[in-house]
Amino acid sequence: MSQKVLDLLQAKLGSGVVETHSQFGDDTAVIEPARWREAALFLRDDPRLAMNMFVDLCAVDYLAMNVEPRFEVVCHLRSLQHAHRVRIKARVGAEDGTEAELDSLVPVWRGADWFERETFDMMGIVFRGHPDLRRILMYPEFVGHPLRKDYPADKIQPLVEFREGTQGKLAPFGPDEGMSFGRQTHDYSRGEN
Amino acid sequence: MATIKIDGREIPFEQGDTIIRAAHRAGIDIPHYCWHPGLSVAANCRMCLVEVLPPPGRPAMSLDILRWDAAKDAYVPEKKPKLQPACQQGCAPGMEVLSESSPHVDEARSAVQELLLLNHPVDCPICDQAGECRLQDYWLEHDRKQKRMREEPIHKPKAVVFGPTIVYDAERCIVCTRCVRVSAELAKDPVLSLRERGNLGEITVAPGRELDHDYTLMTEHVCPVGALTSSDFRFKARVWFLRSARTVCQGCATGCNAFLDYDPRNNTPYRHRPRENMAVNTYWMCDEGMLSYKRAVDGRLLSALVGGDDATLEDALSAAKDQLKGHSSDPSKVAIVLSAQHSNEDNFALVTLAKTYLGAGDLYVSGRPLGRGDTILMSEDKNPNTRGVMQMASTTPPRPIAELLAAIDAGAYHYVIALGSELEVDANEAKDALAKLKGVVTIAAHDGPLAKSAHIALPACAWAEVDGTYVNRQGIVQRSERALKPRGEARPGWELVARLARALGYAMDWKKLADVHRAMAPEAFAHAFTDRGTDKGADAASDKAPTDKGQPDTKAEVRA
Amino acid sequence: MEPLDLDIEEGQLELASEPMMLNMGPAHPAMHGTVRIVLELSGETILKADVQIGYLHRGFEKMCERGNWSQIFPYADRLNYVSPMLNNVGFSLAVEKMLGVTVPERCQYYRVVLGELARICDHLICNGAMAMELGAFTPFLYFARAREVIWDIFEEETGARVTHSFGRVGGMAKPPSADFKEMVRAGVPRVLALIGEGEKLLLKNRIFLDRVEGVGRISSADALSLGWTGVCLRSTGIPYDVRKSHPYLVYDRLDFDVPVGTSGDNYDRFMCRSEEIRQSWRIIEQALDQMPDSGPVDLTDPRIMLPPKEEVYSTIEGTIQHFKIVMEGIKVPAGECYSYTEAGNGELGFYLVSDGSGTPYRVRIRPPCFASVQGLKQLITGQMIADVVPTFGSLNMIGGECDH
Repeated sequence: MSQKVLDLLQAKLGSGVVETHSQFGDDTAVIEPARWREAALFLRDDPRLAMNMFVDLCAVDYLAMNVEPRFEVVCHLRSLQHAHRVRIKARVGAEDGTEAELDSLVPVWRGADWFERETFDMMGIVFRGHPDLRRILMYPEFVGHPLRKDYPADKIQPLVEFREGTQGKLAPFGPDEGMSFGRQTHDYSRGEN
Repeated sequence: MATIKIDGREIPFEQGDTIIRAAHRAGIDIPHYCWHPGLSVAANCRMCLVEVLPPPGRPAMSLDILRWDAAKDAYVPEKKPKLQPACQQGCAPGMEVLSESSPHVDEARSAVQELLLLNHPVDCPICDQAGECRLQDYWLEHDRKQKRMREEPIHKPKAVVFGPTIVYDAERCIVCTRCVRVSAELAKDPVLSLRERGNLGEITVAPGRELDHDYTLMTEHVCPVGALTSSDFRFKARVWFLRSARTVCQGCATGCNAFLDYDPRNNTPYRHRPRENMAVNTYWMCDEGMLSYKRAVDGRLLSALVGGDDATLEDALSAAKDQLKGHSSDPSKVAIVLSAQHSNEDNFALVTLAKTYLGAGDLYVSGRPLGRGDTILMSEDKNPNTRGVMQMASTTPPRPIAELLAAIDAGAYHYVIALGSELEVDANEAKDALAKLKGVVTIAAHDGPLAKSAHIALPACAWAEVDGTYVNRQGIVQRSERALKPRGEARPGWELVARLARALGYAMDWKKLADVHRAMAPEAFAHAFTDRGTDKGADAASDKAPTDKGQPDTKAEVRA
Repeated sequence: MEPLDLDIEEGQLELASEPMMLNMGPAHPAMHGTVRIVLELSGETILKADVQIGYLHRGFEKMCERGNWSQIFPYADRLNYVSPMLNNVGFSLAVEKMLGVTVPERCQYYRVVLGELARICDHLICNGAMAMELGAFTPFLYFARAREVIWDIFEEETGARVTHSFGRVGGMAKPPSADFKEMVRAGVPRVLALIGEGEKLLLKNRIFLDRVEGVGRISSADALSLGWTGVCLRSTGIPYDVRKSHPYLVYDRLDFDVPVGTSGDNYDRFMCRSEEIRQSWRIIEQALDQMPDSGPVDLTDPRIMLPPKEEVYSTIEGTIQHFKIVMEGIKVPAGECYSYTEAGNGELGFYLVSDGSGTPYRVRIRPPCFASVQGLKQLITGQMIADVVPTFGSLNMIGGECDH
């Protein structure tokens, strides 16, 4: 991580950098969502920064901390030549989970492709300009965005229902007793409160 | 404003404040056991020792000690500043106090913690205080070392029954005397005192007596360790599984602020804890109120009753429609009974049904009969919302039930639509009187006399299952948060009123709590939903609340 | 039907033809880690490919938010399950970075040695599986036998062959066993001998070389822009290794080389892995020589480590320490941190967000093969179906890590 990167970024974007901090040895810059693509291009193209390695993109849901905007899209970058790193973040999203949109970074780094798909799948953040924004880890019939804090951890959406009368753990005592598959071993919820 | 400095931070103080009280006001936590903001100062635990720097130009008050110097392999004389107990040392303008930033204070805290744990039994796995115990918290924060004593810890009586509500464990006791002071100062009954001294010290009940005043559970509440335990809560639940909802006690008209601790996994309440509100109950609650959490579960009406038999809600509503047929021809034959046990929202819904749709103007109020009160906290009026009901219908003040029964005898009414299940008159009289009517519908949370006498009873949510506002005897409007999920078939009272109205053919389309509040807005009560009073919530320095595992706050949701 | 003696190009056939959709489905012997590739074929040539992952998604990141920091180690193991020790080490380092503590030196060497043994396992299986899918079953069995030797060492040290959950915040679950150094010094040369035999069967084999050389080629610029790290990136010529660029633990005291390829094809990836196994042995040898034989392995900070069990059962302080750590979790200071190590596939990153309590607020696992597999589409488009098998095998996609 590098303070120099933060300084150059702040010099270039001015008010586009909402805040910066350095913590545990990492340097972070929070970028205005409207200038996300611009910041990314600057980081990649400026020869003093040369962030040509796309490391990671993910999102964090701050619903439990009662802040607005609710989500933070976090992107880690590295430069091969200079060996420095930076973390840039953008805050998007209203409390009910709508308005979570951000420009896609795929035109800047091709590696952002699947990371953005995963962030969309798990958190519901829409990336404008992504060539193929669909679910990647969950199946297409899945409803909701599982990694959000208001998605219950014990909810299941099975495409194939469990067999009748298979609640609870069944010990297979013999060939006729118990089933080793298709049974429900845990009291999952189907989503009704 | 006069200020003192704690660790370089300037905080204001008021005349007569001690350092710890000024810090408490500013939200700074100086570790302590025996101090409590609502009790007198004892200064016996010595955990709150802080270094007070001498005024400019004066020498520090210091002690001559011998410190072991490992390099010289000998004791060397040294001067150490004399630390002052923050709970006793009064504030003076410009005083400089070092709490976190003094190595002497760190050493003192570590030493006090070691001393308190010297004879402490290894009881954490079976002690109810685990998870909210100051010994655990302060050991990890300030000590983190093994004790140096190698002898067998002293053994004292365990599980001593002090009274019907409290059990005492002398080995766990750190003899902070908070319980002694609570009995003497709050309950005005000095039945507890300290016997023996040194490491034999233990709390004892006065000979020939039991710990049986009205505030015994407050002794358990203030006990910072697991020495005093409530026999009601003992071994029932582990505190880290419990969530806390900020509720209002329903025991009497004082309306003490409380935390209702419940386990969301099995939707059961386990105890009340007092919540600080200087305007209403300061730091305390009475025993009756503390145990009133059981009313969220006990004696509940969980399904609709038609003629005393269980029925579905839909069937009950249609039966109500049949029974109340003909009410529209003569609205003056309908008596409306409000309930001083139910929230403003429930009562408002019924008043709206009565005045706006039915055109019935005869209001009565039901509730629990008067009980025993005292000058400390308990009110004689055992209903939480009497003033709320009176203020709600101020143009047509509701009359007591006795007058309703008299009026029924006189043949004034054919129908009664009621809220609540309690009656302050004889149950059998009421049953006989109401049996004469064509239709009696009550919306009740409990299976009380009114619910039993009614022809149709609809199951309402108890206070713990729905957000509600209550007006206490001082006229303060207080909000109670939802804690539990509704049991059985219960629905919020205002929702049942709206559904009854719809069954009778009126367009009362309230579906969410927000609808009720919007309708109530012109009334004086709607602004109760901004937190009123000094609601310190779960962070009161005098009381460590159980910790959630980082889950969302128990923010009460609006239930559709 | 056209007459057989007419020499016509495929595109000129009078019969209209459509590209064929072929599903190389999740249940496929070559799609290890369970991946589904939906191929659009024209004859044998792939026109379009859609790589679909997520069949092994188990919701780790969500589960990590319900528990303590120490309860994440079993999840970490099951990420890259062919080299679980590297994930354990990576996660311990991440939490220790947030806490601001450094483990004792003996523990650092211990972690390095166990990590490198796990890396050898990873590379063995990747190369072996790739060869097996090309039809060379024998080298895979030789490599699996070699892995058994290493697994015996792990079983002796940690108690489990595969998913050890051996890492802890602030140390390891147990100190090294008494015979640790002898076991490793005796075992790894056996491993290398077996690898040598297996590779002898492959490296001069015409069929093998024809199927991997020049296949699945990618330029270094493409690899870089796709976010590749690890062996896949190094095979294209870029010498980026986290152990050299951002040394952690004791890697800066150890002398080793980083093998780099030239053309970024399957053969280069195979050879890079093969050479890395030898470099790992160099690291292990030096680490064993330098590792102290006595001294603490764990930190003693009561806020992080559990006390000895005798103390828990007999002293109140031990009980309190145990209680606070187990019931409330290690209180990691609030904030966020990104910590990265060189795992089997490349840069394994952990992005941790803490709210100051004992429960993680967000644990983000940056899987190295997630980035690699997103390049698979580019690698196989234009190739033939048969090339999918070695190409996919050489990327070393581990389902547990890619799908977490």
